[in-house]
Amino acid sequence: MSLTDLLDEAGLTGRGGAMFPTSVKLRAAFDNRAELIVNACDGEVGTHKDALVVAEHLRELEHGAGLVARKVHWAAHRGSDTEDRLLEAGLRVLSVPARYVASEESALVSLLHGGLARPVMRHEPIARGGRDSQGHRLRPTLVLNAETVWRISQIAQYGPGRFRGFGTPDEPGPRLVTIGGSVERPGVYDTAAGVPMRELLTAAGAFEVGAVGIGGLSGGWLSAGDAWSVAWSNAALAPHGLRTGTGAIHVLERSACPLQYVTRLARFAAGESAGQCGPCMFGVPAVATQVAQLADGALAYDEFALLQQRLRLLPGRGACRYPDGIAGFISSALRTFRADVEAHLAGACVAMKERAGAAR
Amino acid sequence: MRRARREAEVAEVIVDRVACTAHGVCAVMSDGAVELDEFGYPIQSRLTLPPEEARVLVEACPARALLFRRPT
Amino acid sequence: MTFLWYVSRATGVISIVLMTTVMVLGMFLSGARRSVGSRTTIVQSVHRSLALGMLVFLVLHIATAIIDTYVHINVVAAVLPFASSYRRFAVGLGALGADIVAAVVVTSLLRRRISERVWRLVHRSSFVMWPLTLWHGISMSTGNEPLLRFTTIGCGVIGTAAVLWRLAGTHHDSARRREVLRQEWT
Ligand code: SF4
Ligand code: SF4
Repeated sequence: MSLTDLLDEAGLTGRGGAMFPTSVKLRAAFDNRAELIVNACDGEVGTHKDALVVAEHLRELEHGAGLVARKVHWAAHRGSDTEDRLLEAGLRVLSVPARYVASEESALVSLLHGGLARPVMRHEPIARGGRDSQGHRLRPTLVLNAETVWRISQIAQYGPGRFRGFGTPDEPGPRLVTIGGSVERPGVYDTAAGVPMRELLTAAGAFEVGAVGIGGLSGGWLSAGDAWSVAWSNAALAPHGLRTGTGAIHVLERSACPLQYVTRLARFAAGESAGQCGPCMFGVPAVATQVAQLADGALAYDEFALLQQRLRLLPGRGACRYPDGIAGFISSALRTFRADVEAHLAGACVAMKERAGAAR
Repeated sequence: MRRARREAEVAEVIVDRVACTAHGVCAVMSDGAVELDEFGYPIQSRLTLPPEEARVLVEACPARALLFRRPT
Repeated sequence: MTFLWYVSRATGVISIVLMTTVMVLGMFLSGARRSVGSRTTIVQSVHRSLALGMLVFLVLHIATAIIDTYVHINVVAAVLPFASSYRRFAVGLGALGADIVAAVVVTSLLRRRISERVWRLVHRSSFVMWPLTLWHGISMSTGNEPLLRFTTIGCGVIGTAAVLWRLAGTHHDSARRREVLRQEWT
């Protein structure tokens, strides 16, 4: 059986967040003799799984990459331990500036071709090649997340049956999650779709759970109640408007003001737009400013309507899905923390008051 | 034959977000089919139009940010 | 003095006036501080059609200069810069300017087929084309014809003001793009 058929049977989807069937991407890549970039950047906020895969399973990674392409590039954030490990192993390293959108698929391809690490406007999959905005030619290039490549190696070695022994029929296979925030044992955990979130939170020693962030900056939020009752799978998260994504799980402690935390990330997001697409380079900072005003209790009700309209206008209007992710993240926060939002619009911060009360 | 007929019906205009520099000509030339956001960038990302109108619109963009496409 | 020689000089000065107008409109398009779609739409269509209109006068100007026998300028000298035996330098400036005009027009007509980078580069050479052509105009218009000379000089003053206005201004889109580009991206 060919590799793509094996992956089809295993039902492997990309572990980098997009969750697209790997076999489909691979077929296009084989047809175009694409080179491979193994993305080990852990670009998503709160994700450290690529680092772990490189640190502990490099041999298998190399095996998997070898099955996919003859020429392989290893992308890692500049100055990271992962980069050092890859260099020590004598691999062809693509040193990526340590910023959010730089590890996006087309940004990596652009960087590989001597351009800037900024996303490229695509009208066809990048695995078929294309041109950047300057008109430079980009060779056909396949970008796979490091965990995905590791899974390919496992499926080739042990067969799709064993792979399907984990997870659910719709979302098969083992998966890595990174759990951080208000937990006693932060780190990367081995799990699979369908596992109760409760188990994951308990394993990491979550305490004082106020809310749980899923999928980093391109994900969203679960209230504490939902987090304890829901299963960790796309099917179970979908009603909350969430996806498992890159597997980042962030526990927000109860005493913290969630809007302060969201503001911190929104401010970060404003500085990470690649400044290429108008709706993103102006829309994201405008939204971040308003979120900060909200957290300060300085946003009026009618301005809140403008914030929501700006959020509605972000998705689908960039060369990459960065603005979509940010809009989803902030909208989800506004829904999940509705009580806090109401209080802040009225000029008071619930969490601060509670803390002040506790101190007394 | 089939292709020629389809061509006569509709075409698509796609906005290249990286190339678009907010000139706003598309809003004027499309008779309001393209709306602009508060920063001057088109809200719609694609439009379906008769091919002649689509070509005129595509030619009108000063930044060459509008692409002519046949719907797939 | 022949009739054709007069036609040539008249079309020449008209070409300069039109070129300056096209250039000023171009400066307005690329240097606009704010986006006003309706204004841009009109200015752009005038910019494009006047450019093609200028081409007519320019072709007439060159053709009559060649055909006319008052002075000797052959086809080669009109196309190849500095190949003229008659006033080698002044005619050469004009030939060079006309060549750049041709390049700008051709790349603009083919804009959808060539890369944006090439188009932009060629279009920017207008910054060279225009002063060359003015210089050509001033040095060719002999002293006893103040009307031609003053028209050319007037074009120079207006055009220079437009270029300075263009270089001084900035637009929110280009400003943000530049700002982000200064960050680490490689
Ligand atoms: S959408 Fe934003 S991050 Fe993505 S390419 Fe455009 S400007 Fe850059
Ligand atoms: S005319 Fe072109 S550059 Fe201007 S807003 Fe429309 S698409 Fe953007």
